[in-house]
Amino acid sequence: MKRRTFIKDLAWGSLVVSLRPWSWAQSATPGSPIAVVQGDSPGQLVTTAVNLLGGMSKFISRGDVVVVKPNIGWDRTPKQAACTNPEVVATVVKLALEAGAKEVKVLDNPCNPARRTYARSGIAKAAKAAGAKVLFPNPHRLKKVSIHGEWLKEWEVYTEFIETDKIINVPIAKHHSLSRLTMGMKNWLGALGGNRNQLHQKLDQAMVDLAAFFKPTLTILDGYRILWRNGPQGGRLSDVKLAKTVIAGQDYVAVDALGAGLFEIKPEELGFLRLAYQNKQGEIHREKMNIVEKKI
Amino acid sequence: MSRKKSKTYRFLQLARIISQLLFFSLFFILLLQTRFPGEDYIGNVEIFFHFDPLIGLTSFLASHLIFSAFLFSIITLVLTLLLGRVFCGWICPFGAIQQFFSFLFKKLKWLKIKSQDTFSPKAWKYYLLVFLLSAALLGLNLVGFFDPFSLLYRSFVTSLLPALAFIFSAFLTLTYQLHLFALGDTLVQFSENLGVNTIFLQALGLGLIFIGIALLNLKKERFWCRYLCPLGALLGLFARWNRLKLHLDEDKCIQCGLCTLQCETDAIPYPQEKWAITECVYCFTCGAICPTSAITFPFILRPQPAAMVDLSRRKLLATTLLGALAVPFFRLSPSRVRASAKRIRPPGALPEEQFLQKCVKCGECMKVCPTNGLQPALTEAGPEGVWTPILVPRIGHCEYYCTLCSQVCPTGAIQPLRVEDKATVKIGTAWVDKNRCIPWKIGEPCLVCEEHCPVSPKAIQLVETTVQLPDGSTTTQRAPFVELERCTGCGICENKCPVVDSPAIYVTSVGESRSATNQVLLQSGRGESSPY
Repeated sequence: MKRRTFIKDLAWGSLVVSLRPWSWAQSATPGSPIAVVQGDSPGQLVTTAVNLLGGMSKFISRGDVVVVKPNIGWDRTPKQAACTNPEVVATVVKLALEAGAKEVKVLDNPCNPARRTYARSGIAKAAKAAGAKVLFPNPHRLKKVSIHGEWLKEWEVYTEFIETDKIINVPIAKHHSLSRLTMGMKNWLGALGGNRNQLHQKLDQAMVDLAAFFKPTLTILDGYRILWRNGPQGGRLSDVKLAKTVIAGQDYVAVDALGAGLFEIKPEELGFLRLAYQNKQGEIHREKMNIVEKKI
Repeated sequence: MSRKKSKTYRFLQLARIISQLLFFSLFFILLLQTRFPGEDYIGNVEIFFHFDPLIGLTSFLASHLIFSAFLFSIITLVLTLLLGRVFCGWICPFGAIQQFFSFLFKKLKWLKIKSQDTFSPKAWKYYLLVFLLSAALLGLNLVGFFDPFSLLYRSFVTSLLPALAFIFSAFLTLTYQLHLFALGDTLVQFSENLGVNTIFLQALGLGLIFIGIALLNLKKERFWCRYLCPLGALLGLFARWNRLKLHLDEDKCIQCGLCTLQCETDAIPYPQEKWAITECVYCFTCGAICPTSAITFPFILRPQPAAMVDLSRRKLLATTLLGALAVPFFRLSPSRVRASAKRIRPPGALPEEQFLQKCVKCGECMKVCPTNGLQPALTEAGPEGVWTPILVPRIGHCEYYCTLCSQVCPTGAIQPLRVEDKATVKIGTAWVDKNRCIPWKIGEPCLVCEEHCPVSPKAIQLVETTVQLPDGSTTTQRAPFVELERCTGCGICENKCPVVDSPAIYVTSVGESRSATNQVLLQSGRGESSPY
């Protein structure tokens, strides 16, 4: 019944934010560990990273409905590194189910036609095989909700991302000419409907507002193949670098800050990280983070 | 004398209905399958068209190019030589629709068959055929307007399916309003998987044409098949020598005239000497309806040549001339002198003249397009080009790694492209409207077009621009700059531009690789960029 009442609340409007069940249950805990794992198998990187954080059962409770949000934005193959690595997504799904999740949903609102991006990224097939429910964005599930952001006050959001117990953000690390990099915080644009391209007029602020709104249980950044230039979709294999890294943690700001390191960019150089830090949403200074590193 | 209806022909009639249902279902399934299949290459979903000798013939006459897939249509011709127009009666999905409406109108008593009806312009379709062939011989291919498969497919793709999708969507909204979320979610995922394109220019007009043809059945059963269908006419010509001949048993016949009254195609079973072998579609209504089982269709090994529908030599000559005359009139169009900016053809399209000679306006490409961007032209390509496909980037862009339209084109008007070669094909060029572009005009950040540009390195590069603001201060922003040679004209920039009404970046056909004249830059050779 929880879901149904919740939807009713949505319809009634402004109760939305106050009733989000996860909003008090999960918040980016400052000082929580951040796992940085390097190795050859994308799936194993995820498993190891999650284990370093204490295992998936630390984040997912038995019976939870979990939404996994990869980047399935582009009609590109995994080697082109425009979408999250399918093995990474599948492993996250598998771990969540093993931790007792009742249901794992995988979805994204892509830039290219969904039927193509879901198939050609390899994500739909891999996630389905791992036991997830892979969903195309459903326009009937769009609701205008209060974002309560500094700049973004309200926007249309796919309600799958709100009416869920837990949410795991699984972005890929890529170049982007406006925000310089797109990782976890930028990934939330894929949970939106509406004319989201207008968000580019104040993109850094939009990213920070959205990250604070969605507040993922866990962020697992796919840095296996990273898109070095011509982002966010690249195209040529020479745009891609093999970084063989996965960065995971509850502090989504710290995850993005460490992700910037893959591109040899200092976190302070990135507008959205500076804003998020000022807003006390998370840590950007490496020396103040509790980093657990491992090479496999 | 025993009065008994023939069980055999009743059975054959039922078999014919089942056959029509099966072929229509096959047609419809293939139509639905004409969508991104989850991988780069799609099978022969356009196979129906290759059994159509009319399209094969006119495309060949107009372009002097043989498209080997049309060899299948020889099967149709051989079938017709042996068994007459069974294709029309048993196979053609458009014929099935006409028959369905005739049946419906009869049941509703909207169509009453009159015994004294002299209206019987059977010859029209032959004149239409002659007109089409004569025009095609001179390079003007108008068959797409009249070919039954083109007509049916186009109607389904551009209006009937979208209308169904619209109704379905309204039903979905209702489902959610009734809080049946699980049902709604399931239905949405189902419909998303079907990938039906729902937005079409001219959807209303094209739908009305289809409905108009269906309503003609109020005047006569299978009106289209009897009087208008040029494919039926072509098959009629071949049916003359067929071996399935009506036999009227004079001893049994009680001259009730029921057979001729109920005949669905003016084939006149009674009296036998009037029977028109070129008109019969072997629906076997007469055989089944005859109260004394007097009508049979024995298979004759050495048939006598049968009579043709009366065609006036004068009219034949006139329609031939008319077909020839149509050529200049269809070509008095500025689009033949200078390319229209909006006439953006799908990737792989032949040079315009050959393209128009081959395209049959069937809408296969519009059905398979994953973005709904391919639309039927109205004025963009001249009178010849009405309903030919153009890309309307504001509706949908050309997806960078997609070559589906080129794979499903039944006539080769869009030449098959391999995915690896797609990036080398330029269909147009993007232009920035600096007066509307957000960074150029008001000095705010945007770069959505650059973000979406699929070319690597990007065809949209960034330059700095300084904008003076009303308060006297200035602001510097990075703004889009299109590298003409690298731009493929895919139009995703135009599609995604946040200036929603009239976009600040837009694509025109100039620079398209298929044209030697529709070019901007003197030297056009594409860079080293490879899609992989």
